[in-house]
Amino acid sequence: MRHVIFRVEKERYGLPLSAVREVVVPPERYTRVPRAPAAITGVMNLRGRVVTVVELRQLLHLPEGPTPLCRVVLLDRGRRDLGLLVTDVDGIEAVERVSAAPGKVMPAVRGVARLGGLGVTVLDPEGLDAAVVALFTPSK
Amino acid sequence: MTMDMSRYLGLFISEATEHLEALGRDLVALEREATADTVDSMFRHAHSVKGMASSMGFEAIAMLAHRVEDLVDAVRQDRKLLDRDLVDLLLSAADTLMAQVRAVAASREPEAAAPLLEQLSVRVRALTGHAPAVTRVAQVTLRKPGDPPAEEDPDPAAPAAVTPGTPDVAVGSTALAVMPPASLMPPRDLSAPETLYGAPGARPRTDVPAEAELLSSVATLGANLKVLANVDADGPPSAPRWSVRLRISPTCQVPGVRAFLVHKRLSTLGTLVDLRPPLEELKAGRIPDGFIQVELDTAVGEAGIQTALRNVAEVEVVSVSQAVPEPPILAITSQTADSARASADASSRTVRVRTELLDYFLDTVGELMLATARLREVGKVLPEVSRPALEEGVYRLHTLVKDLHDKVMSARMTPLSLITDRLPRAARDLARRKEREVELVITGAEIELDRAILDELADPLLHLLRNCIDHGLEAPEERLAAKKSVRGRVLVTVRRARDRVIIDIEDDGRGMDPAKLKASALKRGLITEEAAARMADRDAFLLSCLPGVSTAKDITDISGRGVGMDAVKRVVESVGGTLEIESERGRGTCFTLRLPLTVAVVHLLLVQVGEEVFGLPIAKVVGATEADPDALSRSRETALLPHGNGLLPVHLLEVLLGVPASPRPGFRPFVVMEGDAGTGKVALAVDRLLGQEEVVLKPLSRPLDLLPGLSGVTILGSGRPVFILDVPRLLTA
Amino acid sequence: MAKRVLVVDDAIFMRNMIKDIFASGGFEVVGEAANGLEAVEKFKELKPDLTTMDIVMPFKSGIEATREIIKADSSAVVIMCSALGQESLVMEAIEAGASDFIVKPFRAEDVLAVVKKVLGEA
Repeated sequence: MRHVIFRVEKERYGLPLSAVREVVVPPERYTRVPRAPAAITGVMNLRGRVVTVVELRQLLHLPEGPTPLCRVVLLDRGRRDLGLLVTDVDGIEAVERVSAAPGKVMPAVRGVARLGGLGVTVLDPEGLDAAVVALFTPSK
Repeated sequence: MTMDMSRYLGLFISEATEHLEALGRDLVALEREATADTVDSMFRHAHSVKGMASSMGFEAIAMLAHRVEDLVDAVRQDRKLLDRDLVDLLLSAADTLMAQVRAVAASREPEAAAPLLEQLSVRVRALTGHAPAVTRVAQVTLRKPGDPPAEEDPDPAAPAAVTPGTPDVAVGSTALAVMPPASLMPPRDLSAPETLYGAPGARPRTDVPAEAELLSSVATLGANLKVLANVDADGPPSAPRWSVRLRISPTCQVPGVRAFLVHKRLSTLGTLVDLRPPLEELKAGRIPDGFIQVELDTAVGEAGIQTALRNVAEVEVVSVSQAVPEPPILAITSQTADSARASADASSRTVRVRTELLDYFLDTVGELMLATARLREVGKVLPEVSRPALEEGVYRLHTLVKDLHDKVMSARMTPLSLITDRLPRAARDLARRKEREVELVITGAEIELDRAILDELADPLLHLLRNCIDHGLEAPEERLAAKKSVRGRVLVTVRRARDRVIIDIEDDGRGMDPAKLKASALKRGLITEEAAARMADRDAFLLSCLPGVSTAKDITDISGRGVGMDAVKRVVESVGGTLEIESERGRGTCFTLRLPLTVAVVHLLLVQVGEEVFGLPIAKVVGATEADPDALSRSRETALLPHGNGLLPVHLLEVLLGVPASPRPGFRPFVVMEGDAGTGKVALAVDRLLGQEEVVLKPLSRPLDLLPGLSGVTILGSGRPVFILDVPRLLTA
Repeated sequence: MAKRVLVVDDAIFMRNMIKDIFASGGFEVVGEAANGLEAVEKFKELKPDLTTMDIVMPFKSGIEATREIIKADSSAVVIMCSALGQESLVMEAIEAGASDFIVKPFRAEDVLAVVKKVLGEA
């Protein structure tokens, strides 16, 4: 299945192409979302749509890195306008044979695959969605 | 559907009081000089009080006012009837009415004034020669604040009885009758005479000369018997004769007037040659079983006859057939195909528009509004001289775009029946499969919602219905054991509350068990032990919306395995609505969907704190002022701003919202906002007031809708997204 | 597009109730009048799709107002608001051109049913 491959720092991630609407350059400034969790960078205006931008690094509990975040991957989630802020986008690749990810199970992660000899973490669109919603829901 | 009349109570009291005071004044004036004007005015006052009281369901007041009206009416016919005693009697009636209205104002039941009523009746009978008519009073629910919603009164339009053919589901609904879609209608037969409607003479004459002769002689005959209608001078003598059979609805309150209206409509089509029952009988309402038989010479054809009657309420056209003048044949045939054809004519005035096109219109109009706002922004940097012309143009553009927006919005409004129409069938099938008896009652389906919201709701509604029938309602033996009727009941009630549409889906089944739901959620690690212990029942019910949580004993293929409720909640929230669940063990469960009507235009006051801009709904803004926050008096931790005669609690918006800001010391602007019942008025400290703006409110999409205190978002002319604050919720959440 | 309604009644109570009923049915109440004179003026000014007309009113009765409205616009849709016992007045109004009638005290769904029928929406 074809996947959009992008990076957070040096780590490579993939999302099914069908789950990605488009990739855009981040705006100069975001509108802050009051009382939002830290992972929410803010909202941006994309041709009249208000898109909530989430920093993928924080969503996946990854350590902070030095590289600027240069792309927003917009998820195709029906009416929801959700964008993932990532370091950069590499391109579209066919990803086969996804196996279970080692370590702690996260709903946002579907598993891992190999691509050109390197590992790719394949993300689960529904899981990402749930992870974002979970940020907003007081822990139960 | 019963109207809650309590909101009219205040108005009833004040207006009835005014009328009664005026009635008293008129009565006093009457003693001096009985002019026709005064008597007319008295009649109107009594009549108004009667109408209002009967609408409110105050029978004692309505009856007394009715008697006064009768008596004044008699005087109106003949002012010589008026004497001192009569004025005394009327005055005491006016006083009693006033006392009754005061009783209502004091939340007491108005006392029936039996002796006075009797006296009045005696006078009415003496003056008019007949007994006064019965006073009809509405069955009314008066809901006091805090009362639980009243039971709906039994609605004759919503039969509780089992409908033949659907043995296990009885369906009651108010507005589910819809026209068949045009595509389902039989193609119009162009050779049929009805297509010649409006073209007299187009029908070949050759086949009717003998008939025409016969017709005119019958018409003359008819004139001697009963000429019931004006002869249409333009009507060709060869106009064919039609036999029309109608029925006045048995629920019609004034069949006589209804019949008269029908008669009037038909008379305009041509020559009425026979009418049974005759006109005088009709007008008096003496119509056996409501059936009316008309013989009519007209060139408009069947379609024309159907058209003339189509818009008359409470009348059913039983049959329309071309009659052979002699002997008359009362053909009573089913006319379904023909009436469907007739309705096809009505639908031709509307066109079907694809939903995507409507979406496109709305998006484009929204963008037009944004573009207009942008233009206005640009105009502000133009040199002074060239501004007025641009501003005028922008103003005009703004007006047009706003009007267009309203039209687009209203074009998108669609009755809920579009999606509730399929529920009865689904209920029947589900009930069959589960071997349960279910009565489904749908009310308020005529209420309209934005099409986009409606489309999203179809599946959630069906799922909730399934949930009620499958998990909510018990098996018949279990119901019997619980002393419930064997037939379970599911009510789908739609109502409007301000700018929201509320849908309740309610069953009278076993109810939900909060403890079980908590246990199930705990087992799946969805909540902590501590959270479970603290959780209110209301919140526990919502656990059923988490994936995998279900307490259903039997897992069937109907409702699935607890999958679905999470989807229901998600969809409802994605359209800007909320889902609430109320449940009582053994009594049943009620799912409440609160939905926005539409995407709306709002007036905002834009304020700045730090680098951020926020919108406050102008409707909630009381005023603005300037003060030095450090110089304000304090009560405990809260600073207080003098406002009017009181002090308002002050909130720094940057603190309230968690926005970084470093306000300069000294004076800063405050916006005084209306709170809700809980919070009262508050003053919000901001950094700058930026001005007012009219914007298209966008509902918050997931996950932003989960944040308390935001009511929506919009995009300003500058392209900047701005959140609209819900101040009371900000303060309480 | 919501149908535009003019509500004529001398009682604010009735006007409010009727307005609420129309609002609940998705209609737009564009104006109201408290007597027959005002009704005719407002009708000419607003050109509503539908007018509800009380019968007993000061200055000019609902019947007279209906007659004048129909004279001004023969396609005008006027619905009489009557009480039981006013049958002959309603018939007079129908002669004057009224399209239909409702009987007080009325229920919201009955009013909307009649109105939608008259407007050809049901």
